[in-house]
Amino acid sequence: MKNGLALFLGVFATLALSWAGLLLTAHRQIGGLSQFKDPADDTLHPQPLSGLADQGRLVYQDLGCVTCHTQQVRHEGFGSDLARKWGERGSYARDYIRDQTVLLGQNRLGPDLRNVGARLGDARPEEYAEWFYKLLYAPQSVAAGTNMPAHAFLFDVHPVAGRQPSAHALALPSKFAPGSGLEVVPTARAVALVAYLQSLKDTYDYPIERSRNTPAPKKAGH
Amino acid sequence: MNSPANNRSEQMEIDASARWPVLVFFGSALLWLLLGGVMQLAAAMQLHQPGLLAADEWTTHGRLAPAAQNALVYGWGMNAAFAFGLWLMARLSATTLRHGGWLFVAAKFWNLGVTLGVLGILGGYSTSFELLEMPRFVSLILLAAYALIGVWAVTTFSIRNTENVYASQWYLFGAAFWFPWLYAIAQVMLFKAPVRGVLQPVVNAWYAHGLYNLWFVPVALTAAYYFLPKILGKPVANYYLAPLAFWWLAITSAFAGGSRLIGAPVPVWIPTLGIAANMLVVVAVVIIGLNLFGTLAGRQAEARNSLTLRFIIISLVSFVLAAVMNLALSMRGFAATVQFTVFDGLRDWLTFYACFSTAMFGAAYFMLPRLTGREWRSPALIKAHFGATALGVGLMIAGLTYAGWIQGKLLNDAAVPFAEITKAMAPWFAYRTVVLGLLLLGHVAFLINFLGMACPFNFAKVPDALFRAPPDLSPEAHAPVGHSLKGVGP
Repeated sequence: MKNGLALFLGVFATLALSWAGLLLTAHRQIGGLSQFKDPADDTLHPQPLSGLADQGRLVYQDLGCVTCHTQQVRHEGFGSDLARKWGERGSYARDYIRDQTVLLGQNRLGPDLRNVGARLGDARPEEYAEWFYKLLYAPQSVAAGTNMPAHAFLFDVHPVAGRQPSAHALALPSKFAPGSGLEVVPTARAVALVAYLQSLKDTYDYPIERSRNTPAPKKAGH
Repeated sequence: MNSPANNRSEQMEIDASARWPVLVFFGSALLWLLLGGVMQLAAAMQLHQPGLLAADEWTTHGRLAPAAQNALVYGWGMNAAFAFGLWLMARLSATTLRHGGWLFVAAKFWNLGVTLGVLGILGGYSTSFELLEMPRFVSLILLAAYALIGVWAVTTFSIRNTENVYASQWYLFGAAFWFPWLYAIAQVMLFKAPVRGVLQPVVNAWYAHGLYNLWFVPVALTAAYYFLPKILGKPVANYYLAPLAFWWLAITSAFAGGSRLIGAPVPVWIPTLGIAANMLVVVAVVIIGLNLFGTLAGRQAEARNSLTLRFIIISLVSFVLAAVMNLALSMRGFAATVQFTVFDGLRDWLTFYACFSTAMFGAAYFMLPRLTGREWRSPALIKAHFGATALGVGLMIAGLTYAGWIQGKLLNDAAVPFAEITKAMAPWFAYRTVVLGLLLLGHVAFLINFLGMACPFNFAKVPDALFRAPPDLSPEAHAPVGHSLKGVGP
């Protein structure tokens, strides 16, 4: 190889090919995915994020939650995400078109969060929000043994003396409370972040994706 | 125009022209290596000491860990690659590095960009896309600075005074173009005109895989293709296969990014294409192995005597291991277990640190004495650096492979509560901290030695600190080999 121009053209073609072959082709295939209209009740899915939850997404990005948390539920037969109850089904590409930024994540130092908003069990949404606030302020208070760092900077701690206690103050066990006469109140960023976390739930199952992602039944005798 | 740099005075003239730009780039690289290393160490400690630096928003783990990675990749990695690449491009093209003053401007802007980027991540302006976390405006500074640096490399290549174009030059030339294209395309497709939905992780995977395998790996191979034949004084074995390896590696690596998305909610052909590409990469790895290990064959004793080659050998072995690891992570059954564990991170660490960074250490031990005209000051510090690197790389690979497997097994056992996994992993997080600390000690030793050599006020004549007997490290010994060495030639 002596010819600089040939080298340049080859180098250019290498990357251009992979760009066109991988990114453009993928864009052509799923770049135009749209919401699905449920024929039964005319609702659109996935539903867009609320304004507050979308602000929370920015907090999620700025704090780098993606460093330790994924947002993707792997399908049956690949890992145990469903057995861990991280979702009722594997994630589909269509689930993500509501998100301005899609952070699938690469690390599971913490649990997957794609359906964390659907894990409230019997709790009411406000109670579940309180659980998130406690998790963020003092992780050990609700998840013993976790190595998640406390995000106390998302909360205001101020004395109650001389004024009416905040209706939003956290009810912390004394071990984790900042001290008597002080109350812990979530800041606007904490409120937005928790709204975002509570919005994370892919509970609607799309008929097209479901039929495409269901493994073929195993034939008897094999 | 036949290789005028064959004679030693020309070569010294080339080295002299490259001296200050290289020292500036390499000096900044080392500062970032130390700074990034300290941040990386603190972030690693946070996983087993969650209270550490958690009170302040700037140093919460979610910000500190990506900030450390960006400082290491764009601060240490890119600066070191610029220093080494510019010097070698000038040497191999047998022409001086002209108007080096502009490179100072470029270095200033590049480091300004990285500084703002790292501060931006710590300050809460992270985009959270892997390796693209820096705030958007920083990308313009980086691209402008890179334009100056890349143009210098390409211009130096195009005014070359040599007939042949050697393997190292192909890799440098390719990398010089691939990085800005990858970076600019990723910036446009993620931030300027963002693609929708899961296309974003596809673009991100394509970029991250490209940055590691079309920038850092080529630069590491550049070093291996240059130093092995040069120091051993023999041509590259089976050199006629080298062009095939170059193109094969480039094409397959460019398509392999999708393999990072196995099991992700993307069209299944994307990971499948990546898996196929990772399998095809093996052909290139085998040829490069034939080239470079073939050159080494029969000369192991000489190679052991050269500090540079010791580092290059670590780099080469890691290059092969990284390909094996990419292949392993492409096996769906294996990926189902180790995906999202510390093993996943080990793959990129292996490429970036064990393959690329060690190659740069080796190159620095060869290049810096020739540029400054001084020898390294302390053999003890050299030994400390090499020992820490060799031991650290070995411990990291062995330890995290095992830890990743354990973590994956536990994650895939739905009966194990998450707190149990954290508990089981705590000793391994501590283990990683210790290994990173060991590597950092090596870097400190390296930096002290570098400062001792590069300090302009340091006139005291001390005996040269050589790793082994002089023949392998003195410029005279290599002068006859010089640039006549083009792998093979009729």
